[in-house]
Amino acid sequence: MNIPFHTLSQRHLVYAYCVVWLLQFGYGTWLAVQWRKSNR
Amino acid sequence: MIETSRKSGFFAILGRLWFVLTAVVLIIGFYEAMTAPKEATMGNLYRVFFYHFPHTILSFIFPYLNCGASLLFLWWRSRNIERAAKADAFALASAEVTVLYTSIGLATGMLWGRAAWGIWWTWDERLTTYLLLWLLYVSYLLVRQFSSAGQTGVVSAVLAIFAAVDIPICYMSIRWWRTQHPAPVFGGGADSGIDPSMYAAVLWNVAAWAMWGAMILGYRYALERRRQQYAAAIAFGFLSNDPPPGFEGAR
Repeated sequence: MNIPFHTLSQRHLVYAYCVVWLLQFGYGTWLAVQWRKSNR
Repeated sequence: MIETSRKSGFFAILGRLWFVLTAVVLIIGFYEAMTAPKEATMGNLYRVFFYHFPHTILSFIFPYLNCGASLLFLWWRSRNIERAAKADAFALASAEVTVLYTSIGLATGMLWGRAAWGIWWTWDERLTTYLLLWLLYVSYLLVRQFSSAGQTGVVSAVLAIFAAVDIPICYMSIRWWRTQHPAPVFGGGADSGIDPSMYAAVLWNVAAWAMWGAMILGYRYALERRRQQYAAAIAFGFLSNDPPPGFEGAR
């Protein structure tokens, strides 16, 4: 799929997907780190 | 002892299998979202819907888990301390996941609104009640963090029950009032719905983010149970007062 990044709507589509992945996997990574620490 | 070890071994394997399965479904969901046909008026921008919708719908479900766990905590706290502690841990885990999903619902909605409507925000009924939902669960987490240790469970459980009242109001807002936010896509009457060629992307992504949510909820609950057990061991003097890494906030 071609996403012309120079248009506002296409750019915001990319931002929205980035926000989802960053927040979800940021929280997931924090949780994994806490989990590993609690295993010690 | 052997029984407990077998049980934790089973959950460790289940957790890993669930993670692999969730990763596969997430990848399929992403592929389906990117390959679904273009929408007639919004073009590619409408693909935000494939992530916005699952997160918003799930952010209406996790608070009910929080409310249910809080009610169970209040019921069990003077009857069965062990069960009450489990309910409290589950309430905390579900509140954190609620804040995560609501934050994503808000952020993706604002990005979509800016591109589609030309504005980041408007104080219409859906957006306002959804912001209120986010604020209520952020305040729930703040109460848990800063209230005095003996009252944390009760105060937060009562707040959780009040917070849950906002969910049906927010859910029904686009049915009760004319809002800037579009009318319901599913279950909104004869004119609602999406093209059948887009169903696969919606369903795969709802399944993927529900599985991911269940997984982080499960791990967060298990982590909180470990913290509770560690705090109990400290309280009874079984361990030294120096918390190991990862348990600094245990009370």
